[in-house]
Amino acid sequence: MLRIEDLHAEIDGKPILKGLSLTVNAGEVHAIMGPNGAGKSTLGYVLGGRAAYEVTAGSVSLEGDDLLEMEAHERAAAGLFLGFQYPVEIPGISNLHFLREALNSQRRARGEAPLSGAEFLKVARAQAAALGMDAEMLKRPVNVGFSGGEKKRNEMVQMGILDPRIAVLDETDSGLDIDALRIVGDGINRIMRAPDKAVVLITHYQRLLDYVRPDFVHVLADGRIIRSGGPELALELEREGYGAIAA
Amino acid sequence: MTQLPTNRMEAWRWTDLAALEAARSTDRGSAPALDGLWIEGDGPRLVFRDGMYQPKLSTPGEVSVEAISPATAHPLGAVTAGDGWRLTLAAEQTVAVIQIVHVATGGENHLPGVIELSRNADASIVETFVGAGWTNRLTTIRLAEGARLTRSVRLLQASGFVSLREEAEIGAAASLASIFLGAGKAASRIDGELVVTGDGGLAEMGGALLTRGEQRQECAVTVRHSALDGASRQIWRAVAADRSAASLAARVDVARGAQKTDGEQSLRGLLLHRTATVNLKPELEIFADDVKCAHGATVGELDKQALFYLQSRGLPQGPAKAMLTRAFVADAIDRIEDEAVREVFAADAEAWLNEAL
Repeated sequence: MLRIEDLHAEIDGKPILKGLSLTVNAGEVHAIMGPNGAGKSTLGYVLGGRAAYEVTAGSVSLEGDDLLEMEAHERAAAGLFLGFQYPVEIPGISNLHFLREALNSQRRARGEAPLSGAEFLKVARAQAAALGMDAEMLKRPVNVGFSGGEKKRNEMVQMGILDPRIAVLDETDSGLDIDALRIVGDGINRIMRAPDKAVVLITHYQRLLDYVRPDFVHVLADGRIIRSGGPELALELEREGYGAIAA
Repeated sequence: MTQLPTNRMEAWRWTDLAALEAARSTDRGSAPALDGLWIEGDGPRLVFRDGMYQPKLSTPGEVSVEAISPATAHPLGAVTAGDGWRLTLAAEQTVAVIQIVHVATGGENHLPGVIELSRNADASIVETFVGAGWTNRLTTIRLAEGARLTRSVRLLQASGFVSLREEAEIGAAASLASIFLGAGKAASRIDGELVVTGDGGLAEMGGALLTRGEQRQECAVTVRHSALDGASRQIWRAVAADRSAASLAARVDVARGAQKTDGEQSLRGLLLHRTATVNLKPELEIFADDVKCAHGATVGELDKQALFYLQSRGLPQGPAKAMLTRAFVADAIDRIEDEAVREVFAADAEAWLNEAL
């Protein structure tokens, strides 16, 4: 589904990704773990298509299409969802309005009919309820005044509404308490655990992996994947630290 | 005729006086259609074409048309002396939303207006400007104790220059709330002097100026507090595209005895292109020692982080920019209380964004 080959990327002339390769097949959950500064968030932004990051070498394809040739919004329409480590506050725009416009932009790009207000509201309410988010929060400006945990929950509500084929989730577990962690973990499983979908979980800690069981775990250090394994690798990392693995 | 101001005068340095001169020397032409300019409602409706009242197109209700000789020292306001419109309401009287459409076809036209509300009277007036040429207005407002006036004014002229001068006296516990939207292609100057003369009076004058091409629009508003417990609000937003310039000058004066004044002044500019200009000139002059005057003035571009967030959810760049810009402008337009009026103004801003982005 997603194939990353020898990816090199930099920001402001500073190389961050230095030859990263990763293949994610449909039905798989991959966890990417690594110390601060390894390039985890950069990987998310490069896949999402943030303009400030420049790809200097390598390739990324999604279902055989060249992802790097697409604008950020085209990647979303192609089925990619980027969960932000720090979801952005946008005063003056309600969650509902924003998500309806976003979803309908994606649908139009795919040649599907846009959802009516009533149809959309039904989907949005169902997703909010499934993630334990008060439906009133859908009417509030995007992430404004939300706690860290509420913002992450809102990311998952968005993912549920947009229903992507592949989700790249950047530190979705940070800022969550134990209960919220379980709700978010259940949400990821419910929305994304399907034979035709895939997840790349970028995380610093093993704890989210107790809820979302990865099929593969990769260690990212200094811009490339230095080790790959099964779920046991996450436990080994937790036990021995990144230093021991990266050495 | 009175001497026109020049850019050498501090209060007029950002005014596009060249556009004014060019507009007044154009020839009269045909009038644009008025369809679609009316907002739903059964209140009085008046049409002025090139400053002349159009009785066949109007249902004036409580508004009368008569000779008015305004007492103003304002150089453009003074030019308006002659026939104009007047709304006088008795104590406790209320009227349905009054709509006035000003159609200009070229050259220059001048019109004075007077609004006098007696104790606890309540009125709401929506004015719309369309067409071409130099359109010049003076509106004199006197609000007695407890009177309440809301004004919503939109500038939609396709070319030329629109100058508006507002002079208001706000009595005890009276309130004036006026919101302006500049979403046309004409240059403009919105010029106001609001004086809160009675205790507990509220003065609000704000809005959004949207400029593009080579257009220049500005506001120059002063609120003077001369009584106790007054409040004022000046919330202005400027959005400038291409090589245009929007200028916001807002001033609050609090006199020595005007204790417990609560003033809010927020001037914010958004540059859609690096070649555009936003000028801000916030001024506060406070002679009382027990007052609250919140103020802020900022100019910037759209937040790149927010833009990427919207794009990552599937919005193309244009609509994403429009959404963020709309939210920026909404701070000012959402001040319009009447929902039907607010929606029409929001739609005008939306139409502007769709063309400019």
